[in-house]
Amino acid sequence: MSDTLVPQIPTTNAEPARRVPTDWTTQAMQSRIRRRYASERRFRFAGLAAVWMSAAFLAYLLITMVMQGASGFVETRVALPVDLAAAALPIDPARLVGRGADLALAGAGLEGTVLAAASSKYGTDGANLLSDGAWAVVRDAIKADPSLLQRRTVFEVPVSSPIDVAAKGNGTRDAEAVVARLKASGALTRGFNAGFLTSADSTDATRVGIWGAFKGSLLTMVVTLLLAFPIGVLSALYLEEYAPKNRWTDLIEVSINNLAAVPSIIFGLLGLAVFLGTFGMPRSAPIVGGLTLALMTMPVIVIAGRNAIKSVPPSIRDASLGIGASPVQVVFHHVLPLALPGILTGTIIGMARALGETAPLLMIGMRAFIAAPPSGLNDPATVLPVQIFLWSDQVSRGFVEKTSAAIIVLLVFLLAMNGVAIYLRNRFETRW
Amino acid sequence: MSAIALLFLVLGLGLIGWLTARVRATRFRAGSTVRFSSLPGHHGWFVALWTAIPPLIFLVVWSMTAPALVTDTVLATPAAMQLPPPGFDRASILSEARSLAEGRSFGAFHGLARTLAPSYAAAQTRYDWIATALALLLAFAGGAFAFTRVKPGFGARTQVERVVMLMLLGASLIAILTTVGIVASLLYESARFFSVVPITDFLFGTHWSPQVIDGRDPGASLGAVPLFWGTFFIGAVIAMIVAIPFGLMSAIYLTQYAAPTTRKWMKPILEMLAGVPTVVYGYFAALTVAPAVRDFAVSIGISWASSESALAAGLVMGIMIIPFVSSMADDSIAAVPSSMRDGSLAMGATSSETIRRVLLPAALPGVVGGVLLAVSRAIGETMIVVMAASGVATLTLNPFASTTTVTKQIVDLLTGEAEFDSPKTLAAFALGLTLFVVTLLLNIVALRVVKRYREAYE
Repeated sequence: MSDTLVPQIPTTNAEPARRVPTDWTTQAMQSRIRRRYASERRFRFAGLAAVWMSAAFLAYLLITMVMQGASGFVETRVALPVDLAAAALPIDPARLVGRGADLALAGAGLEGTVLAAASSKYGTDGANLLSDGAWAVVRDAIKADPSLLQRRTVFEVPVSSPIDVAAKGNGTRDAEAVVARLKASGALTRGFNAGFLTSADSTDATRVGIWGAFKGSLLTMVVTLLLAFPIGVLSALYLEEYAPKNRWTDLIEVSINNLAAVPSIIFGLLGLAVFLGTFGMPRSAPIVGGLTLALMTMPVIVIAGRNAIKSVPPSIRDASLGIGASPVQVVFHHVLPLALPGILTGTIIGMARALGETAPLLMIGMRAFIAAPPSGLNDPATVLPVQIFLWSDQVSRGFVEKTSAAIIVLLVFLLAMNGVAIYLRNRFETRW
Repeated sequence: MSAIALLFLVLGLGLIGWLTARVRATRFRAGSTVRFSSLPGHHGWFVALWTAIPPLIFLVVWSMTAPALVTDTVLATPAAMQLPPPGFDRASILSEARSLAEGRSFGAFHGLARTLAPSYAAAQTRYDWIATALALLLAFAGGAFAFTRVKPGFGARTQVERVVMLMLLGASLIAILTTVGIVASLLYESARFFSVVPITDFLFGTHWSPQVIDGRDPGASLGAVPLFWGTFFIGAVIAMIVAIPFGLMSAIYLTQYAAPTTRKWMKPILEMLAGVPTVVYGYFAALTVAPAVRDFAVSIGISWASSESALAAGLVMGIMIIPFVSSMADDSIAAVPSSMRDGSLAMGATSSETIRRVLLPAALPGVVGGVLLAVSRAIGETMIVVMAASGVATLTLNPFASTTTVTKQIVDLLTGEAEFDSPKTLAAFALGLTLFVVTLLLNIVALRVVKRYREAYE
């Protein structure tokens, strides 16, 4: 065997030919090195450019939304003198207190009075200047101070959507002309649109608000959290601490990992077929939305929970078992409290994802026009992302800024949630 | 009694059971020198669980069966004889009567609903009281039974811990239940669809126009190939052309070149791209990117460019996917042993040569796995394509032409009036099944690739 190998080795004692040392100063080598270094710089620059371009996309997206949405928080108002004394509305002052006040004022024809005041001040199409909600401003002022009924007062009321858009510099030519005229007379003012935060959806861009959708989101998130958090934590505990290694627990693991990667719209189809179709639950209700999102969020919590539980060192379990604790006591008295910050971080991230989710909720009918905030889990409701989606379909120009403004609100919430998650991670991160 | 009140009542009884049992256990432990197997709290939990769990289970079962019982009672009343035969009218009258009876609405379209409402309310009240009585009976019986067992020698801890273990097991079974639910509902509805439309027509047909379905040959207008192509074109081609270079180069720069502080700041900023809700991307795509893409197409001489082009949706989707690709690439580059990198650098290679000739080839399986996962996410992505892609199904290679995707069609088919029986509605479930199967396969393959590769270096 070795005989066959030996002849391959050179047997001569002659000095092997020395390799000539590379002469780095030659023209060829210098240019070669320059080429290699240039390519190095190009590659490095490409990497840097990729990072900056990606960050620039994000910045462009955010800046676009803020630029367009900022004006959504501002409303244009026009000064409107209303002579309530001359109008002599048939109102019983006793009914102006408490719940009946709105009804009493509406019934007395206040809206007509306001429109008439607009016509007399700004000409025959003066009524078109005002937002549909203009008379509500007068109504609320009277409710706050009934003595207004006895005199002539100048109210600042919101203008209609085309005028509002024109006042913000993006309107049609006719509307721009009207705005220029009003501005010259000093009748236009601007103010913070509090109604945007406190009212629900409407067909008129100047009256829409996010409160209805926000409340819907809140109710949906409560259902999601109440279901996904306990189930997620308990199954993470089971899989990580107690589960025997067998075919069944493998099946559970595989299905959790798969659920985490299933497209969200599939969960919508599940909700539609099972919760609406089989169980006959109400369409468009926060409870169904919450159930659907909980099924979607649970795997995220399980995976985060398992990682947090895994990072608790075995010595803690051993010490606890050593002084006579039962396996259940070990987990609930020692492991779970130590893993909780990690689990909470994962939960917040999962909830943030659920808060931004739209597609599964479209499937279960949460795309209806809903003008009243939901008051319970079974009421028809919509959520913030779906509200954004619905507004984005509107053709009226006034809705563009409202959509972007709602996006700002949603992004602020998501950023806050992620901020809390990062804070929790930094504050409670323990390395053993 | 309302469900919430009953729930609180049952939980309150459980609390009382917990307190009394605990007091009793504390009392017999006091002054005794025997060693006990359970703490007073365990006895408390034992009684509380026996008090609360049987009525809660009963209430869950009841809430599923009671509506049918109530309806049966109403149907047995004389007024119900005038109801139309089972069908849509009957169901709508009954649901109106129910909402009248529950005080959710005040007017009724059908006069009959108004006559049925009182008997509805009466039946509802009667069954509510039966439920309350039975639940309380169960709570007291369970509590009393458990309380008699609270004795010094009783191992309450074992019993309680057994229940806890059952709860843990139950919680982890929910994942299987969800998976089964998804598969079963998709399969069931798809089977109904395929009983009307031949599966070959659906999978291989090239004409998709669900708005005009010919009743005699529904398969002719339900060929999904254009949708599959559109989904693939937007999600796996255009989006990846954006996401792979940007994601990969970002990962390389951040792991190999960037200073630690840069890395610390840039990584979360890139991850924010993944945290932006897809509806925001969709709005951005529809409002800003799509018109820009159309203007660009017009400026290079394509006059028929669509404002709902594949390119606009794909570009924005690619941006969304960047952090996903980048973190997968980051992981797999970090998994390459540093001895390989050091060896290459020691031979005199520059950093970029090391990365291109050593690190990337070694990390390739992981990168490929990550890209597959990214593709799976892109083809399942809904809102961007719903808002930025068109509803017209075309088989085209032109990125400026309008295309549609599977997810966009699912949304289109299932919104509006949803009758559960038309091939149009059921087609959405068939599309959902296809999407589920494809993403599942992609995920399995990708995870296997990533896993096998990781093991090789450990």
